[in-house]
Amino acid sequence: MLINIQIIIGLLSISLLLFTLELIRKKRLREEYSILWLSTGLATLIFSLAPMFFLTNFFSRITGLYYLSAAVLIIFLFLLLIVLHFSVVISKLTDRNKDLAQRHALLELELNELKKRTLSSSASP
Amino acid sequence: MVEQKIAIIIPAFNEEASVGEVIERVHRQFPRGDVVVINDGSTDLTSEKARANQATVLDLPFNLGIGGAMQTGYRYAYEKGYDISIQVDADGQHDPAEIPKLLEPLEAGRADMVVGSRFVGESKYRASIMRRLGISLLSGVISIINRQIITDPTSGFRAVNRRAMELFVADYPQDYPEPEVLVLMGRCRLKIEEVAVRIDPRFYGESSITRIRSAYYMIKVLLAIFVDIFKRRPILKEEGRIC
Repeated sequence: MLINIQIIIGLLSISLLLFTLELIRKKRLREEYSILWLSTGLATLIFSLAPMFFLTNFFSRITGLYYLSAAVLIIFLFLLLIVLHFSVVISKLTDRNKDLAQRHALLELELNELKKRTLSSSASP
Repeated sequence: MVEQKIAIIIPAFNEEASVGEVIERVHRQFPRGDVVVINDGSTDLTSEKARANQATVLDLPFNLGIGGAMQTGYRYAYEKGYDISIQVDADGQHDPAEIPKLLEPLEAGRADMVVGSRFVGESKYRASIMRRLGISLLSGVISIINRQIITDPTSGFRAVNRRAMELFVADYPQDYPEPEVLVLMGRCRLKIEEVAVRIDPRFYGESSITRIRSAYYMIKVLLAIFVDIFKRRPILKEEGRIC
């Protein structure tokens, strides 16, 4: 029973690690996020290698985790936090994007007026 | 007294059919004002039509929505030293001949923002029951929060002085800004006054708020207003103080 889940989680975490490494290699992931996802992959890999250690020994004494479903819940909450964090990041980016667009429009107008002025002054010296 | 510099800000998103005529009417009926069109990432000829009618045009690289567009206009007016900014919609429902009515309370120093209201005094404005119900619910909520009667919170026909512009440069709500701005003004202790204006039916097209979307609009705006009450007040950049 447990061995099946071990294999599935193990394979998932290995592919997560490989996928993360590939994204880093292609520079599609910023450093802060690559560390986050690498450690997530590593943590699940370790968990899949020795789940009984986490579910029975010292770990369960700290966390009160005695069932695999409880571990899944923890992972779910972790992912929820990450998603929330991303919403915050996206909000900040949207705000900055808006400021940039506005600044861009103001500067473009300034530039066009400057161009017009230099053109007219060079046309009639 | 020195003549005050007045900017007429016209936010426009795909309004090529009406924007030219609106600018033309402003030039004719309120020649004192400098017309600034904010082209909010239009995919039609809005920008070209506005330029052809001797307006200053600010082209946003992509669509920001009415809030982002208006804020661009306020930033421009503030940086260029305008004393008063007036928002006029590009669909032609605001009559430029009514602008002097908006100016009077500002010039008398009674208000920081003057809103042209469809419901002050005698009004010929007719809307569907649902729309009027929505507007009165909004006006009730905002009147309570601001401790001041606001009859027409969704009107976009408004004039502001430099104090209000300074606030809008720092913070301006984005999606459906008209009602939210009133709450923001109230929180920053800026004064609002309403005057009666005539609002024409639109030249072209429909309101951006259709019947299906109006329920969504109401929920969104009420939620935004509710959140606004708990938000930290914005910091004014120029003076580095809280509004």
